[in-house]
This record gives sequence, structure tokens and C-alpha cells, in this order.
Amino acid sequence: MFSPEMCLWMIPFLPLLGSVIIVTLGRRMFPDRCHVPCIAGAIGACVCAVVVFVGVISETTPLRFGREIAWIQVGNFSANFSLRADGLTAVMLVMVTFIGSLIAIYSAGYMEVDESYPRFFAAVSAFLFFMTGLVLANNFVLLYACWEGVGLCSYLLIGFWYEKPSAAAAARKAFLVTRLGDIGLFIGILILWHNFGHSLEYDDIFVNVKAQYDAGVLDHNLLYWACICLFIGAAGKSAQFPLHVWLPDAMEGPSPVSALIHAATMVTAGVYLVARCTPLFGLAPDAQLLVACTGGFTALLAALIAVTQTDLKRVLAYSTLSQLGYMFLALGSGVVVGEHKLAGLAVTAAIFHLFTHAFFKALLFLAAGSVMHAMHDVIDMTKFGGLKKVLPITHWTFLCGAAALAGIPLLSGFWSKDEILATTYEAWHVSGGAASGIYCLLFFTALFTAGLTAFYTARAYFMTFHGDEKLPPEAGEHPHDATPIMAWPLMILAVGAVGVGIVLGPTHLFESVLEKKWITAQFAHLASPHSTNLLLMVTSSVVACIGVGIAYWLYVADPSAAASVASRMASIYDLSRSKFYFDEIYELAVVWPMNAFAFICRVVDQYVLDGLVDLFGQVPAVFGYLVRPVQNGLVQFYALLMALGLAGFLLSVLLR
Amino acid sequence: MSPAHLEGYLVVGAVLFALGLVGFLTRRNMIIMFLSAEMMLQGVAVNLVAFAHFRGNLGGQVLVLFIVAVAACEAAIALALVLMLFRRRKTLDVSVWQELREPDQEPIEDEGTLEAEEKPEDFQHLTPAGAEPPARKDTEEVSHV
Repeated sequence: MFSPEMCLWMIPFLPLLGSVIIVTLGRRMFPDRCHVPCIAGAIGACVCAVVVFVGVISETTPLRFGREIAWIQVGNFSANFSLRADGLTAVMLVMVTFIGSLIAIYSAGYMEVDESYPRFFAAVSAFLFFMTGLVLANNFVLLYACWEGVGLCSYLLIGFWYEKPSAAAAARKAFLVTRLGDIGLFIGILILWHNFGHSLEYDDIFVNVKAQYDAGVLDHNLLYWACICLFIGAAGKSAQFPLHVWLPDAMEGPSPVSALIHAATMVTAGVYLVARCTPLFGLAPDAQLLVACTGGFTALLAALIAVTQTDLKRVLAYSTLSQLGYMFLALGSGVVVGEHKLAGLAVTAAIFHLFTHAFFKALLFLAAGSVMHAMHDVIDMTKFGGLKKVLPITHWTFLCGAAALAGIPLLSGFWSKDEILATTYEAWHVSGGAASGIYCLLFFTALFTAGLTAFYTARAYFMTFHGDEKLPPEAGEHPHDATPIMAWPLMILAVGAVGVGIVLGPTHLFESVLEKKWITAQFAHLASPHSTNLLLMVTSSVVACIGVGIAYWLYVADPSAAASVASRMASIYDLSRSKFYFDEIYELAVVWPMNAFAFICRVVDQYVLDGLVDLFGQVPAVFGYLVRPVQNGLVQFYALLMALGLAGFLLSVLLR
Repeated sequence: MSPAHLEGYLVVGAVLFALGLVGFLTRRNMIIMFLSAEMMLQGVAVNLVAFAHFRGNLGGQVLVLFIVAVAACEAAIALALVLMLFRRRKTLDVSVWQELREPDQEPIEDEGTLEAEEKPEDFQHLTPAGAEPPARKDTEEVSHV
């Protein structure tokens, strides 16, 4: 029963079962207890994930399941329901199911007042099914199917309160924008299938590409475009510039959804995809450069926007964008120049940051949800303040998460962010020519962004929990802190946010798992050993502390200073405040022309096409009008017609 | 039977059929129409009998027996229908039944409708054989006795 191979398929199956139970039985029979199947499925999946993780570590080859279960077979195209677990998958699985379980438990407390309780848990369970399927998939088709599945669940959960027009609009926006990226992913998959061996299994494609590379017959242009297309898909899902606009709006969903889907797991699917395809990206340096630039630019852009937002969840959303940008920056820095092979370092840094980020960002969103719960859905930081005493548990857990995100030394965010900076630093030094300059620029951008991150995180923390105690009228006299069912997940995540970095970072545990169980098997030719850069650690700590210090000065020590600084830099402040007008630009450049086009189409449809159809419809009508008098209801007339018809028939027989 | 003799029978059959057809198409009294239809059947039957005799086998005779049986059944149903229709409109005129036409067609007006027959004041009861049928009013009084 508990062999790792069995657990492999049970991981997605258990949440699916939970979802089906909720949808079929739960809705009618136990609508108030619908969290039970969801939580049970998530925890079961988590246990299986741990078994798989242990199995992966102890086995020498990746675990596989269902290589022979045919799914689609058309001509020379075939896809199987094949699952696999190597180091990367195992890490992702443990992270997704663990965070998922905690958030499902938290949701049981958070969503208690909602009447659509079963719908929420059914969607969360379904999401866990698709997400675990996504990381377990061993071929691109299964990955793509699950990829769309998580998109669907994300849509359902953003629009969970669909009576609210803004939530419905946000759900649509998220779905359409990610769809745009999905088209890129789909084209990328087609290119890979067509050119690299007519197979969709990861291993076959990677081996084929490497064989072509070694033989010197690799079409670099083609590989470049395949990678770009894959990256477009990843950018859509992971909300990278220019497809980043959906993620901040996705905060219309319930807070646990923001934590699970739009911070910790689904949005990292893009990072996972690019990491999974490192054997391809490693051979396409130009594509890597694009990934790095996009990541770096998004990190900076989102951080600049986050600095001035007053909606607590939006600050966190933009920080998610920024951190995802970091991950892509790391992935893009995995260059291979001569003896220096950085791909291993790069993916380790990116996945490590993904891992730690999942902990502290989920924690921050859940804590923000707890604040929202206490403030009765008020989330504007200007409306409340000084909640330190009112919400002690939320305060302490939020502080842990914020400090980890800010990169305070020894907390988890510090270790992973430092690895990313180190990767970019290395890329700057080993690559030559123009690329070296670009990586240099990216390095300093990342360093600056680290400071900004510390600043806006500290700003959000200080504005919410410090200063004079201020409660919005909606909150009532005595706002309540997190109930136990909400407090426990918060505390567990807080412990993770504080400790996971120091346990896995300096001990190189994380690296060794990825290194031994994934990198050496998949792209040893792109990876070489590396060392820790102490100077960088000190620099990034100093930058983080400066950021926090400035925030302290502006928002605690001298609260009037913030306004004066803002007025002194009014133009930049307004630009950041209004999110660099991206929504407006898109409205003008994309939405408006589309609407105009749709209007033209509607006119053509209504007047030209419908007119033609109506015209053809008139033909039988006219014909019917001509022969209608025959049906006059008079028996004798019918008899006459029969007699005449018979006579005509006989006549024709006789005269023939 | 010689062909010359056969011809005569066929002419009789054809005349019967044609008369029936013309009667069916032109008369508006439903009972007359029914009788006309019967006449057409008989025209056919005459034909069949003649051919059967001419060819010297019994096939035609058998068919005629069928026709007679069918005609008997038909008479039962048709007369019942006519009775029901009469009860609805109190007239035997077939042209008052035009409801099954297309909805946007005007009903066809013929020149004058058949006058409804004088409505009988009373239907008489069946009487014991040989007795003078009493008037209804009287019967009512008698029945009390």
C-alpha cells in the first residue's frame, strides 16, 4: 500500500476524491462539514508526498508510474498518463501539499460564515489535484492539462464571491490574461514535439536535444523560439511583465485562496516549468537572457508599485510578483560559459526561493486574512493601525513572515534571496560581452529591489501594527484575534518562515537533494560546483536593514515624514501609486481596440450574416405561402385532390 | 364468359364508381356522401366479381367478401361518427367542419347552407311490438304508473 510508487498516484487522487465527495454528497448531506474531505485529502496527500520524498531520496532512479497507461493515441502522436518523481518534483509536492493542508485547515475557520462553504472546499480540493498533477506529470500534454486545470480553479476561486462585480471582473481578467500565456505554452509544446523526436515525454525531448547539440545539428533558432514560447506560458501563469496585470486583481478572492493559489503554489507553476526545462534553456543563452531580464524588470517594477499601495493584500500581491521576478532572474542567470556552468546553481537558487517564499508569503496572506477577518473586510491600511495589542497572534506571525520576506539575516528569505543574488553575480562575472553588462545591471537591480522589498514589507507591517491604535467603524468595539483553527496554521507557517531557511540553506540540504536526485541525472553537463559568497551575504543584509530602517524612520519614528517625502517626489509617487498606469495602457491599447473590433463583428453579424440567413429562411416561407390554400380543411376538396392525383397517376401509367 | 360480356360488367362497375365519386365530391350531406362511398366500393366489387368469373378462379370473389366485411365495419363507424358530428352542430352539412385548415385561410363559403331539418320535437321510445307508439309526454305520465 505505501510503496512510493503507489503514493505517486495517490497524491493527486486523494484531493480529487475529496472534491468529488464534497460535490456529490457533501453539498446535501453535510454542508457545514465540507472542510473535512478537503482537509483529509490534503493531509493524506501530504503524507504520501513525504513517503514519495523519502522514496526519491533513497532510490537511485526517479520514481515512475503509469508509463504504459495510454491516454491519447493519434497517428504517431501519443501521450500517456505517466507520472514521475525526481528531486524537483518531490520538493514541490511536499511544499504544495504541506502548505495546502495548512491553508485548508485555516480556511475551515476563515470561511465559516460563508454560505457557499462546500463550493469553496470543492474548488480548493480540485486545485490541489491539478497542482500535484502538474508537478507529477512526466510529459507536456499532462502538464498542459493540469496547467489549464489550475487556471480553472484559480478562476473559480477568484470569482468565489461572484455577486461582487469587481470579483467577477477580476476572475475574467485572470483567466484571459493567463490564457494568453497558455497559447504560448501550447505553441512551445508543438515546436518541441515536431522538432525534437515526436515525443512529449520530458526525458525523450531532453535527450534528443542534447544528442542534437552534441552532434552539432541542433537548430539553435528553433530551440530559442521553443524556449521563448514556453517562457510566455510561464510568464502568464507566474504573472511576469507584461502579463502581470491579473495577479493584483486576483486578490478579490478569499484570503486563503490568495495565500494558496496566488502566492504559494499556482503562480510558481511557471517557475517550475522553466526549471523543469532547464536542459533546454541551458542550451539557449539568448532565451535565458530574456528570462533574466523579464524577471529582473518585473521584480523592480512590482517592488516600486508595492511601495505606495495602501491595500494590504495588494502590497503582498505586488511583492509576490516581485519575488517571482527574482525566481525568474535566477533561472535566467544559469548561463554556461566555458568551464563555468551555472545552471545547477541557478535552478537551486530559484527553487529554494520558491520553497521559502511559499512559507512566508502564505503566512503573510493568511495573517492579512486574519486582519481582514478582525476588521470585517476592511483591508485599507490607512483605515486601521496599531493593531499590535488588539491582534497579538496575528501580529507576531505577520512579523515573522514580514521579516523573512524582507531578508532579515538568518531568516528564510535571506538565505534564498542571497543565493539568487549570488547566481546573478556569478553570471555577471563569467559571461562576456554585452551579456556581462546586462547581468551586471540585473545584479544591481536585484540588490536595489531587495532594499525596496525590505522597505515596503516593513512599511506594511508598521502601518498595520504600529502607531496609534485606530479601528475602522466596521470592526466594532472589540475585534477578535484569530480563532485556534486559524491560529495554528499561522504559527506552524511562522515557524517555517523563520526556520526553514537556516535548516536547509547553510547546511546545503536542499541543494544536495536537488543536485543528487535531479540535476546530475538531467543536466550534469550544465552544472558545476560553486561556493558561498560571504561578501554578498553581508551586502544584502545591509541593504535589507537599510530598507527596514528607512521604513521605521518614515512610519514610526517620524510619521509626518512619509507625507513630506511623498510630496517632494510627487510625480514618481503618483506613478507608483497608480501602478504605472498599466491597466489604463492595456485598456487603451488592447481592450479598447478589441471592443471596437467586437462591435464591428457584432454589426456584421447582426445585419449582414443574420440578413442572409433570414433571406434563406424566407424561401420556404414563400413557397409555403403559395401552396397553403390547398389545406382548406374541406373534406371534399381533399377527396377531389386524391381523385385527381389518382387519375393523373393512372393516365401516366396508361400513356407510357 | 366472353370478353364482350365482360365489358358490360366492367361498364356497370365503372358507372357505379363514377357515380359514387361524383356523388361524394358534390353532395354535402354526410349520409349521402357515405352512401356514395359505399357505391364506389360496390363498383369495385362488381369489377372484381366479373374478373373472377372471367378468369375462372375465386381470387376476386374472396376480395369481394373482404370488401363487404370492411364496408360493414366502416358503416358502423362512419354512421356513429356522423351521428356525433350531427349532435354537435345539429346539421349534416359537411362544410361546417372546416377547422382543420391552415390558420390563416379563410373558410370556404358555399352557396347557401343546407337547411337544418326540422328539429324533431321528440324522439319516440321503442315500443312493444305491435303497439301504437305513445307520445313522449304521455309516456312520462305512464312511467309514473
